[in-house]
Amino acid sequence: MDDRLENRLREERARRGYTQAQLAELVNVSRKTINTVENGIFIPSTVLALRLAKALDTTVEELFLLR
Amino acid sequence: MEARNAVEFADRIARRRVIGTTAATVAFLAVQLVARPVFRSDGYAASGPRSYMWALNAGVLLLLLLPIGGYVWGRRVRELVNDEVSRRNSRTATAGAFWLAMITALAIYVLPTVRDISAREAAYLVVTPATAFALLTFAWLESRALRDG
Repeated sequence: MDDRLENRLREERARRGYTQAQLAELVNVSRKTINTVENGIFIPSTVLALRLAKALDTTVEELFLLR
Repeated sequence: MEARNAVEFADRIARRRVIGTTAATVAFLAVQLVARPVFRSDGYAASGPRSYMWALNAGVLLLLLLPIGGYVWGRRVRELVNDEVSRRNSRTATAGAFWLAMITALAIYVLPTVRDISAREAAYLVVTPATAFALLTFAWLESRALRDG
């Protein structure tokens, strides 16, 4: 299997006018975590993915997708 | 401390940790190059304050890889500084250092040497590069994680 995980976190965050720090505050993680998820360096846990989706009022499937 | 401030404060601390870890490791390596605290030209491992200082220095540096300290900042900031990403970076750096230590130890065992190496010298040769590698890798991974954009 050679699937690649992509995410639309940066776009969704920007669409709602949040900074990385503001989203980090909402999700209760560090700004570093938001930054690494956005850049594809860090694949978040299921719990974090669900919290991100909830904070951005969207679904996990909308935020993360396999290519 | 308000939530927003906690996030920003943790970010600042994480950045300082990168600089501090890098500086401490470079200083540690520089001291090894200058002082070579364990080796002696007559073939016997040195003992005394300098070699014990090396052991103390390496031990303290290795503590930087553990998610401890910062108790004055409060629990929330500590958790943000040592979050999921930092813990993963620490594990990655430690795993790399483990392999470097194993390769060094095997090389010491297998490769011919001009003279016999004492246990203390062997420990020094294994621990020094592995410690430096772990810390510099951790600092680099953290720096990459903190990079804006």
